Amino acid sequence: MADTCVIRTRDLSKSFTPSINLIDLLPRVIRKKPVVKAVEGVNIAVEKGEIFGLLGPNGAGKTTLIKMLCTLITPTKGTASVNGCDTVKQGEAVRKSIGLITGEERSFYWRLTGRQNLRFFGALYNLKTEETKRKIDFLVELLDMDEYIDARFDEYSTGMKQHLAVARSLLGDAQILFMDEPTKSLDYHSATRLRRFIRERIVSQEKRTVFFTTHILKEAEDFANRIAVMDKGCVKAIGTVPELRVKMKDPEASIEDIFRYFT
Amino acid sequence: MNLIGIFFSSLTFFFIAKLFGRAAAPHLQEFGGDYFPFVLIGIAFSTFLGVGLGTSASALRQEQMLGTLEAMLITPTKASSVVIYLTLWNFIYSSFNILVYLLLGRLVFGIRFTFSQPLLILVILFLSILCFSSLGIISACFVMVFKRGNPVNWIASSSFDLLGGVYYPISILPGFLQAISHLLPITYALKALRGVLLAGFSLTEVKTEVLALLIFAVVLFPLALLLFEFSLRWAKKDGSLSQY
Repeated sequence: MADTCVIRTRDLSKSFTPSINLIDLLPRVIRKKPVVKAVEGVNIAVEKGEIFGLLGPNGAGKTTLIKMLCTLITPTKGTASVNGCDTVKQGEAVRKSIGLITGEERSFYWRLTGRQNLRFFGALYNLKTEETKRKIDFLVELLDMDEYIDARFDEYSTGMKQHLAVARSLLGDAQILFMDEPTKSLDYHSATRLRRFIRERIVSQEKRTVFFTTHILKEAEDFANRIAVMDKGCVKAIGTVPELRVKMKDPEASIEDIFRYFT
Repeated sequence: MNLIGIFFSSLTFFFIAKLFGRAAAPHLQEFGGDYFPFVLIGIAFSTFLGVGLGTSASALRQEQMLGTLEAMLITPTKASSVVIYLTLWNFIYSSFNILVYLLLGRLVFGIRFTFSQPLLILVILFLSILCFSSLGIISACFVMVFKRGNPVNWIASSSFDLLGGVYYPISILPGFLQAISHLLPITYALKALRGVLLAGFSLTEVKTEVLALLIFAVVLFPLALLLFEFSLRWAKKDGSLSQY
């Protein structure tokens, strides 16, 4: 039977040796440094068209996991495949099918306008000039950005910056969107609007897959089809909220109860 | 402002040439015997060298500091291509500077350059860009791994200035230093360029220098890309791509 999962990890683990200096050029047997286990033995399978939430407290390993899936960090052990491609051996193919949205404002050029930023990244997505222009116009309309797309990025509000990040992630026809705490700096209304847009437009209409991390319990409950609860680098439980209640043997459990139980 | 800077530095060397030019003449016979055209090509070309050596590393460092590096590396464009693209504007700008130096030399200082071999000049410049960019990419590897300044740029630019024949012909150097200077691509690039621009040499007369540049380029460029790939893997393994 064909594998319908677009994201799959098997025993995925990542350990870090803190700080880089010249001693790190020596073989591992000579240097001895404490190892921090950021992610340990994670097994996840995400179906196409699913909104999958990774819920966990700060330092749980959520960002490390999402960066491994986006080819920005190499796993220490285990494997991960995205859209059928291995994240280590087929990094370029993986990057063609994904977009990453973070709450990181520093990922844009502050002195350029939103449109100039998108043009720049469009070139890195190998889009031709005309195609970039057409795509930017489409995304500006889609995300209702026409009022501020030609303003400098340093004049943007947090919500505007996040919309621009969404637009950038869609420049390259990404089939899978990774979102690392996408609403962490947004107010209630902006966060709700962004989630609605992603659910209705990106997932329901365009059948893309969304993998997001959050530490906001309500967001995980309302936004995700399924949740993985992560703590201290390990995935403690995976399922829909009702399935997690069954695992807890408490049909009345709130999302707070679930979170407390598994972390 | 840049034009004024170029003019002032040209003028400085013009007066230095007036002061010491005659003493240098015996060493400059193969380039026409005049020190000022010799050094003008040297300083014009050394801006090119500076761009090649420094831009990859400084551009990468800037992206690290701005926080845009990860956003670039998540795109389908190869990381090594990103680093090369980041230097392109500086090479175009630097080529413009070289042109200004040559125009000033011709129009203000009355130097008679020979442009009978434009294709050969372009070949020499292209091979030089490949050689210097390769060293620049190797230099960027240090930035990728250690997130700070690197020794490659410092060593290369210092030794190129001292031993590459930018300000004086290498024939005045002691024998062992001359031997070292023959291991540097800039020595061949400058000799070829001066030969073509000042003495009207053809490919036959600068074939040794062009061949040497070709060998440097063929060895250094793939090596630089390989090392860059290695440093990128290191940073990904270390999880330090977004660190600065």
